[in-house]
Formats: sequence, C-alpha cells, structure tokens
Amino acid sequence: MIKAENVKKVFGTVTVLEDVNLTVNPGEVVTILGSSGSGKSTLIRCINGLEKLDGGRITVDEFDVAKPKELAEARKRSGTVFQLFNLYPHMTAVQNITLAPIEVLKRPKAEAEKEARDLLASVGLGDRADAFPSQLSGGQRQRVGICRALAMKPRYLLLDEVTSALDPEMTAEVLNILAKLAAEGTTMVFVTHEMEFARQISDRIVFLEKGKLVVDLPTERFFAEDGGLANPRVAQFLSKMRKD
Amino acid sequence: MRYSEFTPFDIVLLAQGLGVTIGLFLATTLIGLLIGVGLATIRYYRLPVLTQVVTFITELLKNSPVLVQLFLVFFGLPAFFRINVTPVEAAVITMSGNTAAFIYVIAVSAIESIGRDQIEAARVFGLTRWQVLRHVIAPQATAFAIGPLTGLLVNQLQVTSLISVIGVMDLTKIGNTLNLRTLQPFIVWAVVGVLYYLCAKLIAWLGVRLETRLRAHTAWKGL
Amino acid sequence: MRLDLSILVPHLGFLAQGALLTAQACGLALIGSLIMGALVAIARTSSSKWLRWVAFAYVDLFRNVPFIVQLFFFYYGLPELGIYIDAFTTGVLSLSIAGGAFASDVIRSGILAIDPGIIEAAEVSGLSRRTTFTKIVLPIALRTSIRPLGSVFVNLILTSSILSTITLNELTGTAKIVASDTFKPFEVYVVLLVVYAALTYIVSILIGLLHKRLNRDLVDGAVA
Repeated sequence: MIKAENVKKVFGTVTVLEDVNLTVNPGEVVTILGSSGSGKSTLIRCINGLEKLDGGRITVDEFDVAKPKELAEARKRSGTVFQLFNLYPHMTAVQNITLAPIEVLKRPKAEAEKEARDLLASVGLGDRADAFPSQLSGGQRQRVGICRALAMKPRYLLLDEVTSALDPEMTAEVLNILAKLAAEGTTMVFVTHEMEFARQISDRIVFLEKGKLVVDLPTERFFAEDGGLANPRVAQFLSKMRKD
Repeated sequence: MRYSEFTPFDIVLLAQGLGVTIGLFLATTLIGLLIGVGLATIRYYRLPVLTQVVTFITELLKNSPVLVQLFLVFFGLPAFFRINVTPVEAAVITMSGNTAAFIYVIAVSAIESIGRDQIEAARVFGLTRWQVLRHVIAPQATAFAIGPLTGLLVNQLQVTSLISVIGVMDLTKIGNTLNLRTLQPFIVWAVVGVLYYLCAKLIAWLGVRLETRLRAHTAWKGL
Repeated sequence: MRLDLSILVPHLGFLAQGALLTAQACGLALIGSLIMGALVAIARTSSSKWLRWVAFAYVDLFRNVPFIVQLFFFYYGLPELGIYIDAFTTGVLSLSIAGGAFASDVIRSGILAIDPGIIEAAEVSGLSRRTTFTKIVLPIALRTSIRPLGSVFVNLILTSSILSTITLNELTGTAKIVASDTFKPFEVYVVLLVVYAALTYIVSILIGLLHKRLNRDLVDGAVA
C-alpha cells in the first residue's frame, strides 16, 4: 500500500503540494488529474524519492521514503515510467531492461536476459531487442521503458504522463499495453491527460488543484453530475479537456 | 661543494628571473599580435598563394613541441645559415613565431564570426574594404577574441619556461640555479611555481576586465 | 647551405628507439590522465563542497604552473622524500597529473551534459551511486568527450618532449644526441618538427574515427 499523509512540497517560494493525503491499495488503478502546475508530477516524484518532502510522510509498504535505507526498499517495490522515456542511450533495449535486475536484485545474467526478451516480445518488440534507443521510435522507446520498469517486478507502477510525448498512433500502442497490465491486476498510479483512457481503466480518480487534493472518488462517481462534476473546478477542467 | 642556505639576495635573483620572463613574455606577445593579426588581415583580403603557405606554417608551429622549435632556432639556424644567435634572440624569435601562429587562428576565427550581413551593408554604403575592417570588424572581432586570447596568453606564459633550457636566465633558470646550490627542491620549485601561478592569474584577471569593458559597448541597454 | 637529410639515415634506428619511448610514455600517461581526470571530474560534480573545492584547487594549480616546473618539482623533490623512481616513471607520473587536470575539465563537461532524466531513471531503479557512475555516467560522458580528450592527448604528445630535460631519451632527447653527433642540427630539428606534426595529425584523424564509431549508436538515426 502506498500512503501519502499531509504531504507538503515547496520549490523556492512556491508551494507545489499542500496537505495531500492519498492511499493506493494493492490492485488499484488510480489516476491523478489536474491542470499544469497543479503538482501531479511532483507527487509521483515524491513517491519514488526523486523529490524530498518538506512536510508530511509517504510510505510504500510501510517503508518511509524520507529515510535513505527505507527508500532503497521502497524503490525496489515501485517502478517508474517517464514522460521522456529516459532510456540509457549507450545500451540496447535488452541491456536497458537487465541493468537493474542484475545490479540491484543480483539476478544471474542469462536469466535476466531471457526475461527481458520475453517482456519485449509481450509488448511487440521481440525483434528489436538488440536495437539502441536511437534506432527506435518514440512509442517503441516508451514500451522499452515500461519493460524496464516491469523487469524489477514492482508491486506498484508509477506512470508520469507517459504518452504526452507521443503522437496519437504511438499513444494507442502504449495505452493498449497499460490497459492489459491494469486488467492483470497491476497496481498503477497514473498522471495523464488521456481522459477516455483514464475513465476506462481507473478504479479511482484524484484531482489536484494548485497543490491541494480536492477530489478523490471512484471513477463513475467522479464523472457524475452529483459527484466530481459538482466541484466547479473539476467541471471547468473536464470541459476544457474535452474541447482540446 | 657544500650546499648553502637561502640568502636575501636570492629574492633579487628571483625578481630578476621573473623580470626576464615577464619582459620576454610581453615582447613576444606584442610581436606575435602584430604578426598574427597582420597575417589574418592579409587573409581577409584573400591573397591566393600566401594563405596556403601561412596556413601550412601555422599548423606546423601549432602542432609541434615548442622545445623543438627552440632547438631549431638556437642550434639549427647558426649551423645552417652561419649566423650567430644568442639565447635571448632565439627565445624571442621562437616565442614570437609560436604566439603569432596561435593568434592568427584566433584572429581569423574572430573576423569570420562577424556576420556577412553587416559587412555587406557597410560595403553597400560605399565603405572601402579597409574602412569596413577598421570600423565594423575590428571592434567586434576584438571583443570576441579576448576570451580565447586570454586563455592563449596564460598558456604562452607557461611555455616561456622552456627558454631556460637554451640558457636564458628566466625564472625557471633561476630556479634551476637555486636548486643546484641549496638542494632544497621543494621550496625552490614551490616558490617558482607560485610566482608563475600568480602571473597567470593576473593575466586572466586583466583579460576578464578588458573583456567586460569592450563588451560594455555592445551590451543591450534597452530602449 | 644545402639541406641534406640523408645524413640522418644511419641514425634512424636510434631515433626510432626514442620514438618508441615517447609512444610508451604517452600511452601510459594517457591512461593515467583518463583515470585522474575521471576521478577529479567526479569529485568536482559531487555533492560534497569540500571535495569540489579540493578538486578545483588541483585543476587550477596544475593548469597555471608550467609543466617543466612541475616536472622538476617531482624529479628533484621526490628523492628528498626517499622516493627513488627513474626518469621514465617520474615523467609518466608528471604527465598524468598535468594531463589529468585538463582531462578532468573535459570529462566534467561531458558529465554535466548528460540528460538528468537518465540519471533519475537509474536512481529510481535502485542502482547504487557507484554503479550509476561506472555503468551510466562515465560511459556516456567519455563517448561524447572523445574529441576534446583527443586534444588533451595531442597536447600530451607535444608536452612529452619536455621529458628530454630530465635525461629521458625519448624522441626529442635522441634527436638532440643525433644533432650533436652529426653536426647538422638544422636538418635534425626540421625533420623532428615535421615528425611531431605528422604524428599529431594522424592522432587527430584516429580520434575522429573513434568518435564516429563510439557514437554511432547514440546519434538519432533512422527511426523504425
């Protein structure tokens, strides 16, 4: 279980997150929505320890991300997929995926490689396993990124706007894989602009407004007139997204 | 011969050596500037054969050890041309030529950094090539070149230390003398090193000040 | 006043020995410079203020003091400490320390130019700092820094001529001996000049090829 309690994050003079409370239970798919600058990405970056908290507490399976030794354990249990892929440019797809399992989990090389190739095959990249990131399209790179996160067999998958840098066709490729993962019961925390997708696969939707978590509802309730839409900011946000 | 202690006179010796180093550095920098900028100007006028020859010689000087250049001038010229060359003369000739080669490259790059549109505009207004060079190119190229030039001069100061090998009584040669006499290499070479270091820092500081002054004119001051 | 290069022919074997010594010294010094440069670059980009300052002081010092002074400092000074090493080793040591100062600047630029997102991906996967440096940061930084490191190597080759002043018979040292043996210093040193220039030219070309080869996977090529 991921638990964020009274989380506060400040950048200089700007309070990006304030008094955020969020719980993610195993098996849940939670989507975080909000306008730009509302703190969505920052929240994810606090969960995987890339940003340090200025207040509050985040625990992943009872491990406190603020404590270095416990953060290492927390990171073993969560995998992150980035908006800009962040693949290691000097390594092939397979090498990108096997690096952490070999170095951190101490898996034997042959075993890790076989698993990596299987993962790549399951996302449709079986024949591109030995390609370098520079030889792959954006959608392909992101699929490698997903495999890289999955190779660590994480309990929780954190996805930070993973399709925002892709064109519609590639976006569809990636979303299909994510939908499959959700159906298989993977716990996922999304930050995304893909409304339809969020509506289809999320169990819960959470809305951030200027650093504050203002709405936290199951998906159908979120899109209901008397539920999420009752909040004027949510309604405004959703209508803007639809127009785009 | 027993080794002897340091004496107050050694400070005078060091000062003399430093004086020779700085004097030679300034002289060769000046000559190098004249030759280097002069050659770059000639290239600006696009004289055919000369450019190739100049390029070849500068590449040769830039990509070979200065020590070998010194030996060539000090040992080679007298043997070949049957003329007398004193250590100081050889040092001046070699360092000037070497500095000129590097300055030539910096100057050429600085001149070419000026946009063609400015030059074309000036020519269209009727300015001669010389006037364009003097009023449009030179000021901007100079400001552009100060950075690389400062770096070069700091390096050339270090290079002057090699003239000690052919017998010039510069700071390094004095260091050798003191080292042989007192057998205290740590102190001697540390002091010599610090003196070079301070001079290098002085040059770098002057370069920054000069650059700020020159660039102040081109800074955007707003409407 | 005739230029007669044929007098050099009987001495070519001897000169070749000197060239070999130069090659050995420069090869070892290159490795030494890369190791020093990588360590210092890591120190300069570390989060420890003290480490950053020490690394900066080292670079500043060895870039602003003439090499011959550094060389004499070690050659005459180390025996005082009871460290007796031969001229070759002293030369390689001195070249490595000086070369390391220049190399560290280059590698530091290479490290700072790495997309921070890549480091984040490594961090979040749980990779230790050491593994991140050895498997991600340094491989990428070195690949992109090949050309400027090539310049450092060329500089090393030219600077190695100064080792002749501490009785090492590398290329310049042997040339000096040949010059006095043949009484034809002009011919000898002109040839020496051209040899060094040709050597550095060849090295530059090889560096260019190496850069292309190491970076061909990093550059965005045709997209599938």
